[in-house]
Amino acid sequence: MNTAAVAGPLALGPLVLLQLVAPAASLAAIGVPAILGRPLSERTTTRIVGGGFAAAFLAALVTLVTLVLGGFRPEVVHVGTWFSVGHHEATINLVADALSVPYVCFTAGLCWLVNAFAGKYLHREPGFTRFFVLLALFGTGMNLMVLSDSIDVLFAGWECVGISSALLIGFFHERANAVRAALRAFTTYRICDMGILVASVVIHQAVGSGDFDRLFGTDWPHGTCLVPASTATLVSLLVVFASLGKTAQVPFSSWLPRAMEGPTPSSAIFYGALSIHAGAYVLLRCEALLEAAPWARGVLVVIGTITALHAALVGRVQTDLKSMLAYASMTQASLILVEIGLGWRIVPLLHVVGHAILRSLQILRSPSALHDRHDLEAALGGPPGPGGRWLIGLLPPAWQRALYRVALDRGYEETFVARWIVRPVLGLLERADAAERAWIARLGGDEPGGRR
Amino acid sequence: MPRPVELAAMIADAARLLPQQGPIGTFVAQNPLHGFETLPFEQAVIRAARVFRAEPFLPESDYRAHLAAGRIRVEDIDAVLDADVGARAGRPLAGGLATLGRLHRLLLLHPVRLESDAAVRWTLAESDALERLRDDLPPEARARILEGVAAEGSEPADAAAALWHACVEAGSRSRASVGYCQPPARHRDLILAVAPALDTDALVHPLLIRIVAAFLDQGVASWPMPERDRGLLGAAAAVYGSRHGPLEDWAGAVPGRLGEIHRAFEEGGDPGAIALDVVAAELRALGVPESAWPGYIAESAVALRGWAAMVRQLEERPDRAPVTAVPARLADFVALRLVLDRAAVDWAAERLGRPRGPRSADAARLLDFWVELRDRHPPRRGPGTVARSFLLFQVAQLLGLRPAEIRDLGDNEFRELEDAIAEFDAVARRRCFHLAYERRHRIGILDALAAARRRAETPPGTVDGRVARPRAQAVFCIDDRCESFRRALEESDAGVATFGAAGFFAVAMYFRGIDDWHAVPLCPIVIRPGHTVLELPEAKAVGDYRLRKALRRSYGRVRGGLVDGSRSLLSGGVLATLGGALAAVPLVARVAFPRLTAVLAARAADIARRRVPTHLGITRSAEGLLPDGTRDGFDTDEMAAIVRRLLEDIGLTSGFARLVAVVGHGSTSLNNPHESAYDCGACGGGKGGPNARAFALMANDPAVRARLAAGGLGIPDDVWFVGGMLDTCTSTVTWFDTEGIPAGHRGEFDSFRRLAVLAGGLDARERCRRFDSVPDDVSEAEALRRVEGRAADLAQVRPEYGHAGNAVCIVGRRALSRGLFLDRRSFLVSYDPRADRDGAILERTLAAVGPVCGGINLAYLFSRVDPLGYGAGTKLPHNITGLIGVMDGHASDLRTGLPFQGVDIHEPVRLLVVVDAAPERIAAVLERLPAVRRMVANRWVQLVAWDPDSGAMAIQDGVGGAIAFSPYRPETDSIPQAVSSAAWYRGRRDDLPPALVGVEPGAVGGRAAP
Repeated sequence: MNTAAVAGPLALGPLVLLQLVAPAASLAAIGVPAILGRPLSERTTTRIVGGGFAAAFLAALVTLVTLVLGGFRPEVVHVGTWFSVGHHEATINLVADALSVPYVCFTAGLCWLVNAFAGKYLHREPGFTRFFVLLALFGTGMNLMVLSDSIDVLFAGWECVGISSALLIGFFHERANAVRAALRAFTTYRICDMGILVASVVIHQAVGSGDFDRLFGTDWPHGTCLVPASTATLVSLLVVFASLGKTAQVPFSSWLPRAMEGPTPSSAIFYGALSIHAGAYVLLRCEALLEAAPWARGVLVVIGTITALHAALVGRVQTDLKSMLAYASMTQASLILVEIGLGWRIVPLLHVVGHAILRSLQILRSPSALHDRHDLEAALGGPPGPGGRWLIGLLPPAWQRALYRVALDRGYEETFVARWIVRPVLGLLERADAAERAWIARLGGDEPGGRR
Repeated sequence: MPRPVELAAMIADAARLLPQQGPIGTFVAQNPLHGFETLPFEQAVIRAARVFRAEPFLPESDYRAHLAAGRIRVEDIDAVLDADVGARAGRPLAGGLATLGRLHRLLLLHPVRLESDAAVRWTLAESDALERLRDDLPPEARARILEGVAAEGSEPADAAAALWHACVEAGSRSRASVGYCQPPARHRDLILAVAPALDTDALVHPLLIRIVAAFLDQGVASWPMPERDRGLLGAAAAVYGSRHGPLEDWAGAVPGRLGEIHRAFEEGGDPGAIALDVVAAELRALGVPESAWPGYIAESAVALRGWAAMVRQLEERPDRAPVTAVPARLADFVALRLVLDRAAVDWAAERLGRPRGPRSADAARLLDFWVELRDRHPPRRGPGTVARSFLLFQVAQLLGLRPAEIRDLGDNEFRELEDAIAEFDAVARRRCFHLAYERRHRIGILDALAAARRRAETPPGTVDGRVARPRAQAVFCIDDRCESFRRALEESDAGVATFGAAGFFAVAMYFRGIDDWHAVPLCPIVIRPGHTVLELPEAKAVGDYRLRKALRRSYGRVRGGLVDGSRSLLSGGVLATLGGALAAVPLVARVAFPRLTAVLAARAADIARRRVPTHLGITRSAEGLLPDGTRDGFDTDEMAAIVRRLLEDIGLTSGFARLVAVVGHGSTSLNNPHESAYDCGACGGGKGGPNARAFALMANDPAVRARLAAGGLGIPDDVWFVGGMLDTCTSTVTWFDTEGIPAGHRGEFDSFRRLAVLAGGLDARERCRRFDSVPDDVSEAEALRRVEGRAADLAQVRPEYGHAGNAVCIVGRRALSRGLFLDRRSFLVSYDPRADRDGAILERTLAAVGPVCGGINLAYLFSRVDPLGYGAGTKLPHNITGLIGVMDGHASDLRTGLPFQGVDIHEPVRLLVVVDAAPERIAAVLERLPAVRRMVANRWVQLVAWDPDSGAMAIQDGVGGAIAFSPYRPETDSIPQAVSSAAWYRGRRDDLPPALVGVEPGAVGGRAAP
């Protein structure tokens, strides 16, 4: 299936590169003066970052048209080789195909729009430049992740997305809550990132390179798995694990409602639109592997279903706009995972795009909730009734109260995780630490009590 | 054991400390320090800063910047010190080498730093502080020090070092002060003082916020909290009173305790009594002695004051709940918080080395914990030796003290000097700065007013311009934002006279518009209206109206369905997959082309709405009370009383123009939870258009006119009133009932309408000077487009600047201030002292103006002084909660006060109320208005009497709660002059001093530098 994967000076190469270089250049253009202590003016900052996204968007659009005219023949752009040792090589490859190019159109377009929004929204805010640096970093990382044709490049993009996301949650770092929420998101991300990192090792081990075309070809969505089923299952499970964190699946979901500590536009683009779907994108990219890994798909369907039900229940009792929208996002993101687990391709892709656009509009609009509510009440001639509770109404009152408490306490997820995962792990680490010190003390001939 | 009544009184006392802010949908700006108004302002802000952990004044660096920029002048500082230190100014210090007055003056003019020992060491090591004397020394001080150093035989280059060594030597003679400080009452603060990592509020608050938010929710959650009719405590006990489901570790004991409370509710106990029982039981179990209960309760309420305040507000005014009235009680809140607090304290006690004993001892184990924590509370330590020496070093330089003189100070002299420096600490300095800051502003305004009066009275006797009949008269709200609009009208047409009256125009009513589903009160928040007015479709348009209603209802159903659907599981999936991408259209349109989208949307809505002509049902159609206890409309007597009241208030009882416009105001903006803060405060945070419309109808009613004429207030038959509404965000006026204007008045109305459009453009351009994103040289038409765009822009956090800048309130004849550029910073209240024989009109005017304008001013002042402590902080992370307020992020206290984006350009000065009346009359009137008197006597507002006959001014400066006036003599006669307002503000973006505008071009001798 490697017919199209020819490295070299192909017509699309510069265009694909531009999709990456443009936001990266804007990042440098505003980041470097800021580091030198001479941040650019607000207007220049938004223009540069907007220009970067606009260029990426237009480049992606032209690429898309070319692809469509060429019948979606995928093209691999070889940027360089990081290193190669014997049969092993870590290449930097990008791919323009039916999945990545439309997706870049969508991400760059959305970033462009949010940039325009934020330019006004953050006017005179002390962290103005910081916000746009992080937005540009996010956009660059997102495009890198989407266009990547090897697990190594994907990991780099994935990490840019993660770190910019965590830093934006903690944008108001003078508030303890914001920093705590950022730390929680960061920790969750780091734990789940292990999935991609280990998957990378496994892939290199299996095919001698991180390239996807050695794993499943480039003919999305008709890729074929080129590795044994056991490897496919292992890699799939690892990628599924990685995507659980970013998609806020049970038991990693508690960071998402807290992520609403940042400025509204970043919440919209990260947790309504792009960041939350990053996991789904990677799974779609690896669809051929999943195809060969029914176990991994089963896991995906089970966890997705549990999370969807959890989020739908918890979302019903949220009393603030942003938490409610966070759980609504979680519900849909879980459904998307289920769809991917069922082996669908186009439906989850449409679902991602549709949901992202719809949700970011809702989050950007959330400060208008009072205004919109008045309009709605005026139109309906009264407050809208609490809908969709007939099922709950069938339960006896005591059960209703119990279920309400489960929902209000967010399914006790945090307590369970703290009690049965965090505490044992911490305990284990503490014991290991104590044991190590004891051993060192013994080897060093010190009194065991005289440590530290 | 306090009786329940006493406990309830303690809770009521605590409630006084809470901000008085209701649901955000009807935001009325009020003094956040309302509970402290019994104290003088300066004392109150310092004390409140301690209670709320907030800032009393702006940062010192801000004031210093103002000093450097000339906004504060040295003479202001001298005047403030003169009044402040007074007779003590000559007190000798350091053996006569300095005086107290000189010390204070130097400390204000030159910055000194008091830092920790470590910071001082860093400064000494890393800066040249010891190598050279300060650069900003007065020359004689420098000369003195150098002389002294030379006399000791050292080089001038060593002067600083020699002085430093003398100061260190002196500093080590005294020890760091260890002051006793009253320990806090709450366990949380006591624990935090001994174990900084153990914050029990960080444990309790997330759970408490979740429960209270669920209880108060007005319809965000689709599943409301069960058992809400039992009150907060009852509902919390019902949900959390069973032992199923794990809670966090600290909260293990909570379900058991709430279970007991739940059983008490099940047995049919009185909810209020249960709450008080719980409060008493928890406080006892916490081991708090009864003498400390009031403080403990108050601190417990203040610790989460936004939510506590909302509970209290809905307890007092359930009718202000936007959708559902819930039985909120502050006692419930305190009880619930204490239950959670005790669990957390118990958990913390274990970590502080008090292991849980056997079960039987559990109840008693916290009893002596409180006393122990109070004993362990660390005393307040003064700055260390190095820090004190460094402070002395800085002061010694400023005073010009020589090293030998410092060494020779006797113990007493040294201690006196050190105490005098310590006493004039940062807070004391900021207080002086603030007074100087206000003084400069006051002088600028009063001198300008005196100049305006001089101009109005040349030639003498023409002060009112009542010579010719005005072409038109317009009554606006007293709102500061109407100042520019009125000035624009007057500048555009000298034949127009304007008036200012509280924007509900004496029409207090519940109003239900044609598209509203329920009636809302449109009147000051202290009034509960007794009348209901409905907007009704005209008889000929009833069919259209029905159709429109049906259309809107289906539109609402579809839209509501879409919104709900997008949040649910399966329909959300289907919607997002199939139609989600369509949301790109509104997303791109709203973000990229906000104004165009708004225009198109409004057009589409107009077509769909089939413009239905309406009328107001102000005439009483049925006797008897409506179900809500109000009456339908007004009868002729009531209407005549309203019209008379307003016209007398503003002094318009004769000399009517043929057209009198009555213009209320409101503001429309998107993406702005604080939208209603920009509406009319006199309408209780609503839009004042219906009031203006109703007033015009009443004043045009022949029966009302006949009734008025019988009472001696004759309105000529050729006078027509027309109502309108000014949108302060878009600077446009909408007119009501224009079809009913008689043919003979059409021409006048049309030309006035054109004039209002012109004034709107001028107003918009003047407003645009404060928006950084609008270029300086914008035209009027472009300015209008810009402000319209801002109103419709989802991304715009500053659609308008609201009352930002408000600083002055002029109660008096407009003729006295007409032609004075007041920069949209002045409330303008019309009052004619010559028509007010016994002070009755002044009494009712001040009764309304004092609290309303004073409240707005203080809300802005405190939100600007401490945007985090008193204001709502930045808007960016605001998150609408329960449709009643905003939180920062996902779980914070409810943010009260104004967002930073609304106050960032505000100059925090107390309102300067200038009253066109003699001091004796004002003093007499104030005696009849205890609440206003308190504000004036404690100087929460600055009051100036402006004698109507002589034009002399007198400032209220009574001490100890007395009202007394001292004469004010203008500082200068030369006030800047300009051809027009636009010529004065063009190219300037900051606050502008007053200027006389409308001066003949030849008479302007160049634009005086402000």
